[in-house]
Amino acid sequence: MEDAKDKVWPTGLTEAESEELHRHLIQGTQIFGMIAALAHLLAYIYSPWLK
Amino acid sequence: MSRTAGPLGRAWARLGPRFLPFADAASADLPLARLLRLSLFQVAVGMALVLLVGTLNRVMIVELGVPAALVAIMVSLPVLYAPMRALVGFRSDHHRSALGWRRVPFMWMGTLIQFGGLAIMPFALLVLSGAGQSDQWPTWIGQLAAGLAFLLVGAGVHTTQTAGLALATDLVAPRSQPRVVGLMYVMLLLGSMGSAVLFGWLLSDFSPGRLVQVIQGSAVATLVLNGLALWKQETRRPGRRRAAHEPAPGFIDAWRVYAGGPNARRRLLAIGLGTLAFGMQDVLLEPYGGQVLSMSIGSTTLLTATLALGGLAGFAFASVILSRGTDAFRMAIAGAAVGIPAFMAISLAAPAGNLPLFALGVLLVGVGGGLFGHGTLTATMQHAPPEHTGLALGAWGAVQATAAGLGVVLGGILRDVVNAIAGIAPGATGLDAATGYLVVYCAEMALLVVTLLVMLPLANAATGSRLLHPPVEAGSR
Repeated sequence: MEDAKDKVWPTGLTEAESEELHRHLIQGTQIFGMIAALAHLLAYIYSPWLK
Repeated sequence: MSRTAGPLGRAWARLGPRFLPFADAASADLPLARLLRLSLFQVAVGMALVLLVGTLNRVMIVELGVPAALVAIMVSLPVLYAPMRALVGFRSDHHRSALGWRRVPFMWMGTLIQFGGLAIMPFALLVLSGAGQSDQWPTWIGQLAAGLAFLLVGAGVHTTQTAGLALATDLVAPRSQPRVVGLMYVMLLLGSMGSAVLFGWLLSDFSPGRLVQVIQGSAVATLVLNGLALWKQETRRPGRRRAAHEPAPGFIDAWRVYAGGPNARRRLLAIGLGTLAFGMQDVLLEPYGGQVLSMSIGSTTLLTATLALGGLAGFAFASVILSRGTDAFRMAIAGAAVGIPAFMAISLAAPAGNLPLFALGVLLVGVGGGLFGHGTLTATMQHAPPEHTGLALGAWGAVQATAAGLGVVLGGILRDVVNAIAGIAPGATGLDAATGYLVVYCAEMALLVVTLLVMLPLANAATGSRLLHPPVEAGSR
């Protein structure tokens, strides 16, 4: 039961594992953010709003 | 297992055995429901490919009025990323993960990139065409954005497919690999045919808003399909991770070891030449039918269906035969050998004015291409060293995708150049217009002969080693 020590409650993941999942989440959010910004910019160029 | 497969998986499982020819691909360790679910990533790949080279190609030229040369450059951009597949496969082999994942992070990242590319694609295309208010902005914005969108989709497709095929290889016992390859090819074909029809129907009433809906809809579909495909597939093996201080092996070194393996370079050369040979006619069959054989638009569309039907027959036949333990290289050789008379039939159909002969040739090209593709992918899987599965499949994908993309471009250029040299007007019909096409078909036959010469020693080597070492029993890996 030695490696149960670094399990983080309640997921049963170790700290390294949860950090890795977290990294994927952050990375995914960053990519989505950049894509969304670019899509909005292009949509604005095509047809400016608030005009 | 039905608990993890979910309702969709169970629905597939009920449908599968009755309607798909690869039902017995499932082994005790991998139920069919999971295998079918995994193959969904190929549907997404097929959808993206058809969108890029088929639907958007047409939409940009006809509906958006973008110059054809610019469209050709944009559409061929994803090929630039194809050689990177070897690197992607290698990186996934040595991925450092606390979760013990090797393929899932790459499939997920590829999915995100593909989603991102498709999400900005419609606006990029509208800006590229100068529609709306975008003509008040510099033109390079549209070109850069469209180029980026195509590159992103290409990078996503190549990454997802490489990691997905490597995952499939990891998951199934060697005995079932031929059937898994068949299943993957069939799903790719079904995905591209189904979405070609769907996109055509949805875009028949074209408007910029509809274009945004369709392309972004395909982006969401990509996310859903790939999410379903990779959900709970890869076994977590935390023990597989290397200690943090252990340096990752370099790609160049790993590549030297892989390419230095017995016949590895010869295998890749054969795959490239054969794929090039089967790929050059891809976009030329329909114009050949229309221009030279005076077929109507409806019947030239049937040609594409005939080609796909031949491909399906080839995959099914190869799956059945190869799962009995036949050497996969022999199957690839058979495919190349079928291709030669097939192109001969297509070439002779013009002077003979014989449509059934042409249709037979197209069907045989499909069969030959199916056998060749199936044989080479199965052989790659079977010869992949367990620790370098990703690199091996990446190398296969890099050569295959580059050759296929190059084939389409070269075929078109060769026809145009020969026609220009022969002084044939672009609007010519009948036998007068045939010269360029016939040169392409002859080039394909010549390439197939070279492929055969390159591949024959491979089959002999395989038989030789089989005599020395009897085939490995299934499941021993």
